[in-house]
Amino acid sequence: MAGLRRRLWLLAGIALVAAIVVMIVAPPQAAEAGGLGLLSLYSLARMFAAYLIALVFAIAYGTTAATNKKAATVMLPLLDVLQSIPILAFFPAVLFFFVNTFNGSPIGLEISVVVLVFTSMAWNMAFGVYEAITTIPQDLEDAAAEFGVTGWLRFRRLMFPAAVPKLVYNSILSWTNGWFFLVASEVFTAFGRTYTRPGIGSFIAAAGIRGDSGSIALGLAALVVVVLAVDALVWRPLSGWADAFRLDVPRGEMVRAPRPYERLRWIPRFPGMWHRITRPVRPLLRVYDHASFRLEHAYTRHPTVPRTLRRVDLAMFLVVFVIVVGAGLVGLAGLFLHPPAEAGELPAAVVFSFARLLLAYGLALAWTIPVAAYVGRSAHAARIVTPVLEVFASVPATALLPVILGFAIAATARQELGLQLASVLIALFSMQWYLLFNLIGGVRSIPGDLSEAARVFGLRGLTYWRRVLLPAIVPSFLTGSITAWGAGWNALIVSEYFPSVQSTPLTGLGGLLDKATFLTGVTGDNQLLLFTIFTMIFVVFAMNKLLWHPLLKRAFLRYRVEAQ
Amino acid sequence: MTRKHVLVRVKDISRSYFENGKEFKALEHIQFDLYDQDFMCIVGPSGCGKSTLLRIIVGLDRPTSGEVLFEGKPIEAKNPQVAMVFQSFALFPWLTVEQNVEIGLEARHVPPDVRGQKAKKYIEAVGLTGFENAFPRELSGGMKQRVGLARALATDPLLLCMDEPFSSLDALTAQNLRDEILELWSDPDLPPRAVLMVTHSIEEAVYLADRVLVLSGRPGRQVAELEIDLPRPRNRREPEFYGWVDDIYSLIV
Repeated sequence: MAGLRRRLWLLAGIALVAAIVVMIVAPPQAAEAGGLGLLSLYSLARMFAAYLIALVFAIAYGTTAATNKKAATVMLPLLDVLQSIPILAFFPAVLFFFVNTFNGSPIGLEISVVVLVFTSMAWNMAFGVYEAITTIPQDLEDAAAEFGVTGWLRFRRLMFPAAVPKLVYNSILSWTNGWFFLVASEVFTAFGRTYTRPGIGSFIAAAGIRGDSGSIALGLAALVVVVLAVDALVWRPLSGWADAFRLDVPRGEMVRAPRPYERLRWIPRFPGMWHRITRPVRPLLRVYDHASFRLEHAYTRHPTVPRTLRRVDLAMFLVVFVIVVGAGLVGLAGLFLHPPAEAGELPAAVVFSFARLLLAYGLALAWTIPVAAYVGRSAHAARIVTPVLEVFASVPATALLPVILGFAIAATARQELGLQLASVLIALFSMQWYLLFNLIGGVRSIPGDLSEAARVFGLRGLTYWRRVLLPAIVPSFLTGSITAWGAGWNALIVSEYFPSVQSTPLTGLGGLLDKATFLTGVTGDNQLLLFTIFTMIFVVFAMNKLLWHPLLKRAFLRYRVEAQ
Repeated sequence: MTRKHVLVRVKDISRSYFENGKEFKALEHIQFDLYDQDFMCIVGPSGCGKSTLLRIIVGLDRPTSGEVLFEGKPIEAKNPQVAMVFQSFALFPWLTVEQNVEIGLEARHVPPDVRGQKAKKYIEAVGLTGFENAFPRELSGGMKQRVGLARALATDPLLLCMDEPFSSLDALTAQNLRDEILELWSDPDLPPRAVLMVTHSIEEAVYLADRVLVLSGRPGRQVAELEIDLPRPRNRREPEFYGWVDDIYSLIV
């Protein structure tokens, strides 16, 4: 493990050297190049702000949905919808709201950026918490109930610890996702204006518009360093910490002594530190404890109390439900009664966008399956290749946009063709890593005895692929595909319109969204925006419900390899 | 024999499950009393609902009809005078041995220093001194079940319920633990005042119990309530011992 990390840093070093070479050949022209460290910190601060909000939200939302069945009937479908919505499409609305609320001051812009990044992080973390809590083994639930562990103590001792592994794992995914949207949102054109916040994303974007390759290299290098540093200082220690909370330790895995907190070694520690840090809040917790204890007692002692509460509960649920459904129906009716002029372009847009994503998906599969099969089976290959892939994957596709665009235009004869190629490439870069890392995980999860059995019976080459490898990776292939397509849909809005080189967007859903937000005056074309968003949600939802989920269900019945 | 005091009264309990509108009977008309100083085993073939019965008695599940009285009052899950040992140990993997043992006390808002003392006492009683700060996954199965036992005893229960506590252990460890439980049981200074244990092993029941409740399979019906009057320590090789085992075996089959 230590060796792997050393190689990772080595590679980061090589990436840096490459960046320096580019910078010597084409010196950065940006005036703010010297302040790039500070710009990175700005970006990082936005990321952490958004992450902390997402964390609190995820824990509250996930816990509530997992413990309150009635609430869950609304909260889960809502989360499902939120997860499938192309987040960037809502950005103009968010921007509009906050900029107006704060009278155009930078605070409004900052808040909208943080809100956008938050929406890219929160849903999958909330799902993680929900899943983890609902899959707590019955015997642990029983033990908690039997020993009177209720209220706050139950959250602290049972639900939160059980959620930690999934929460940390999903946090890492969310964090990566967050970079993608942060970079995209630091420069944003909407309502005929361009809004810019100082940061690493806007630095790269500005360099791209100027064609300043030295600055692009500098910005990308800084981004890689920041991403890897956060990974080394925050996520790897946290993953180690989270291992102590895992409920299932696969047999044969080394049991290491889990020592909570000790893994965040870079935080200076002194005896009693956690005790001292938590002291100010402890009276509050005790008050909460006491209140929940008393409430429990009231619940058990007076049979009428729960009934009244249940009625209030139900009434509130109904009110919210009616409001949500009513608003949705009114909105939809308005939309379909007065469709925007461009409504006729929607079918073609769906077909074109889908075709681009399908092409990108095919390209991604073509290289990720063989690479995953190779890397997943050879420890030696994994040690060398994984760090390379991690460095590449750490760069969000939005930051690579200037590079990809430049390459695509240079590589093709006609600009029209170049833009199409760039669009597919950006989709590819948004989708491929999810597939790759899921597939590698799938290949790794093939149990040792199964591989040995295959070797003993002489399964080799094509037979091995057909009988062992491909069936074993079906579940992770499907999970990877779902995430990859989600990322692909989300990337459409940045991949179908390049304001720096073209005036009309490409045909596609993303293009239509861009048309609705960037190109139509000060207020934007809300009708077209909503119509396109609804279409996109419909397509994504249909694909999830009709294709992926049934496949996943079947795959889990047939292809799941049990840990033995 | 005159009995002192009825601790638990199980009154005509039935439990059904409903699936697709079809009724599935798990337990039918179970009725017995558990007395002070009683060590009782519930035996039956797998699927006879004996674990369900235990879950109902501790209040984790509700009967379809009938009721369970604990000291004359209806039972509830958080009754602090009943403690439970689980077949799968059900230890919290993220808590240390000591924290696991303290969990029932923590739930009752016992101050930390008192908790610590109690936990130490019972960790010592089950022979795990030195492992206070270990995590469950660092322990063997037998040690885990000792933690489960200490956790149950630490709450000073009047009634200790055990659901197949030795089924996940290897034969040797299980036998050691059985003897240790008998030793703890014979110590008058230690709780509980009565033990109710579910097992599928007839031999185990005859080895441990004062009384055995025999259930038949699907739906669980009460076949017999037997008093095992063998002197302790019991010897598995004696003909009387085998007489009891054979009797119970013929009742089930």
